[in-house]
Amino acid sequence: MLTKIAGGDIIDPVNGRLGKGDLWIKDDKIVPAPAGGAADRTIEASGCIVMAGAIDIHSHIGGGNVNTARLLLPEQHAAHQLRPAMTPLSNAGWSTFQTGCLYAKMGFTTVVEPAMSPGAALHTHLELADIPIIDKATLAILGNDDFLLSMIRDDAPSTMIEDYVAWTVASTRALGVKVINAGAAAAFKENVRTFSLDDVVPSYGVSSRKIVKTLQAAVDSLGLPHPLHVHCNNLGSPGSADTAAATIAAADGLPLHLAHLQFYGYGTEGKRGFSSAAARLAELVNATPEVTIDIGQVMFGQTVTVSSDVMRQFSARGSAHPKKTVIHDGDGNGGGIVPYSYGKDFYGTMQWAIGLELFLLIDDPWRVFFTTDHPNGAPFTAYPALFELLMSREARAEMTAGLSRSALALSTLAAIDREYTFEEIAIMTRAAPAKLLGLTDRGHLGAGATADIAVYRRDRSIAKMLGQAAYVFKDGDLVVQDGEIIHYRWGKALRLKPPVDKAMVRRLEDYHQQRYGLSLDWFNFPDSAIAREQPFGEVPCRT
Amino acid sequence: MAVAWIGNREALIERAAAHAASLLSSSRCPVFSFDTDIDGTRAAIALAERAGAAYDHADGAALARETALFTDKGAMTVAPGETRRRADVVVIVGELPRIHHGLVGELAGTVPDLSTVNQRAFFVVGPNGMSVPPLNGGREATRLSCGQASLAATLAALRAQYKGRRTSQPVSNFNDFAKALAAARFPVFLFSGHAAEGLALEMLQGLIADLNRKSRASGLHLPANENGWGSTLASAWMTGFPLRTGFARGFPEFDPWRCDVARMIAAGEADLHLRISAATAQPKEKKRRMALIVLTKTEKPVAGAAVTIAIGEAGVDHDAVVYSSRTGSLRSTEAQAASQLPSAATIIRLIATHAFAEPLPC
Ligand SMILES: [Zn+2]
Repeated sequence: MLTKIAGGDIIDPVNGRLGKGDLWIKDDKIVPAPAGGAADRTIEASGCIVMAGAIDIHSHIGGGNVNTARLLLPEQHAAHQLRPAMTPLSNAGWSTFQTGCLYAKMGFTTVVEPAMSPGAALHTHLELADIPIIDKATLAILGNDDFLLSMIRDDAPSTMIEDYVAWTVASTRALGVKVINAGAAAAFKENVRTFSLDDVVPSYGVSSRKIVKTLQAAVDSLGLPHPLHVHCNNLGSPGSADTAAATIAAADGLPLHLAHLQFYGYGTEGKRGFSSAAARLAELVNATPEVTIDIGQVMFGQTVTVSSDVMRQFSARGSAHPKKTVIHDGDGNGGGIVPYSYGKDFYGTMQWAIGLELFLLIDDPWRVFFTTDHPNGAPFTAYPALFELLMSREARAEMTAGLSRSALALSTLAAIDREYTFEEIAIMTRAAPAKLLGLTDRGHLGAGATADIAVYRRDRSIAKMLGQAAYVFKDGDLVVQDGEIIHYRWGKALRLKPPVDKAMVRRLEDYHQQRYGLSLDWFNFPDSAIAREQPFGEVPCRT
Repeated sequence: MAVAWIGNREALIERAAAHAASLLSSSRCPVFSFDTDIDGTRAAIALAERAGAAYDHADGAALARETALFTDKGAMTVAPGETRRRADVVVIVGELPRIHHGLVGELAGTVPDLSTVNQRAFFVVGPNGMSVPPLNGGREATRLSCGQASLAATLAALRAQYKGRRTSQPVSNFNDFAKALAAARFPVFLFSGHAAEGLALEMLQGLIADLNRKSRASGLHLPANENGWGSTLASAWMTGFPLRTGFARGFPEFDPWRCDVARMIAAGEADLHLRISAATAQPKEKKRRMALIVLTKTEKPVAGAAVTIAIGEAGVDHDAVVYSSRTGSLRSTEAQAASQLPSAATIIRLIATHAFAEPLPC
């Protein structure tokens, strides 16, 4: 079928296409305008902007910890209930079924779950398979697992470490690798309560820095498109900006992605010893081209923090609201669930302002990524409001009126005039994520690209405009019209398939038999275990 | 071989499914109970949404106690693999379901390789006479009890004594326990909702939290029923809620009392019961005016059922994904003796095609 999206303002920074024009789709691909071809279907898009479908690189949408958070917080759903039932299980508050629909309505067509515990890969993929409409992907967590730490301790050759990373990515069907507070979860099991970049994991004598550098090098040598995705040490603590700065410096010429930098943007100034270090970090990021970051913006209200940084979550138990938590020591990282409410007090205001400062002070939209670290800084449903804050100085000024003055006094936010343009938004939420993840088929509107397209009707309210897309196409299917789901379908989980070394598989079989009394079969699964027609889509490694 | 019955009469599977669908469509208050794999659970919950049904595990009471620990209080937990590799003190809390006795035996037959202490001490909390899983090599767990006091009361006494408080009745062998804890690097408490009341599970978590002030400790959750816990997980991601959720008002509502399916049947609230479990259980008493639809592994109709359809057993007759307490996560298993018997999910979807225009989302 040939579809023409007629007369919209096209914003496609990758192909340098900006301005009024038509966009043509044949089946599931974007195609050049056919010579004299008549469209089977025409979508009238005058008064609309037309962008590629958005890509979220870091949103906790499924897997063991997310599901445990659901178990812990049945009351979290109350606010979502009583919506018109248009799609299966759409009334199910915080469910997989609703996740796909809510993302699609905002014009997002690909979302990455960034913290898959390798041992729970099957569980994670089953959840993702029940997220409709959009494509998904996962990052596999390494860096607190005994197998890797033992290899680093024993000075194993880098090829052996690469074989292990390749096996993990291949067997868990991941799109990349994440390290979360490297070494800290292992140290916490030995009763260590704080952990920094140069601290060592007791029984291994291996530093956090060494773990990060080892994984960074392995990911690079294997040609995994997405650089090592790092959740740094000391998340959330005053002075954590020093840790982030040291980690940025440790990139040392090789690509490195730092997750939710806002949670490390904290200095120790002011009478509360908690201040904004955003300007300092932004300057460092600007000066370090091999580093990319996402923000993890805080927005006010009730949420739940879900993290595989078990040490940090354990220490945050006292701040739980409501007062209940789950702390899990897993095979590698484990995790913690701590519900939390961001208030408009000094601390909440500080965090909110720091996130925005980072967004606005980091110059290159190709290296700063749009996230709330859903649901840690805020649920992803806060995205429309966040777009408005980035694109409108006035919206920021309005918002600050009700916030803590003493916090704002310690931030540079009020002095920043920058407003993101639609072109910058298209880079930050489309072009750059596709590039960062190695997804050449999306993030742009060039001929041959997958027809993932979002059409937004211009409106005075940016939040309304970007919150309810006029039209969304996924793989050429028109899935959203006027902010409502009109077609139900199933996306894929995008994965890499690096070659697996047979000797490594034998080693791991022995290891699992000896240490767990279980064959590797207990952890492997066939694609058919995911009860969907085509659960996975393969993304090539760099060659 | 017959695989479907309407009442006591053999029927084509399509006819039986169509009859089940028509009963479901005319039901005012349908309830589902199941003991099935992940795929069966997904299909059952998707059908429950369409039918406006409440759903629960077939033996939901113990699971409900475990669920309540998470929904009401939270917990500190540890993976089974880490337990094997790190636990230098293992405390069996209350009576554990038989399915977990093998794991306990294995813990007794191994030592923690990630601990500097290369041995494991075993304790058991519970009244004298409570059955304890056999440990390897004739070892015995040291008993921590307050005579015939309940598990919750014993745990409360243990917690109080650990904090240095006086208790009306001291816990037996407490000094051994205190000494073991003082030397322990990673004590793990094995718990289940099988025989432990909610208060005991809560009290245990209090003790674990106390221990974590200065050192490490955690709890290994050994579910009362593995399929049940797998269904709990699938229910949580599909609806946001655990089992004992109902769609009476079109959207999912979690209510562990109102949606207790056994209670709804006993109280006469339910007018249709869809029971999904490969294991055959004859209904205790036939409720008048309640239609019974049974999916089970059977060669004959279930007495009193309006519709009986034969299904295979997950992991035996067909490949399946199930919860495994050995890995603490979902696991893919191959059919041990593949057969032609359809899976629960297949039959549920078949019933749905007769009752509703749109296919189920899973
Ligand atoms: Zn995150």
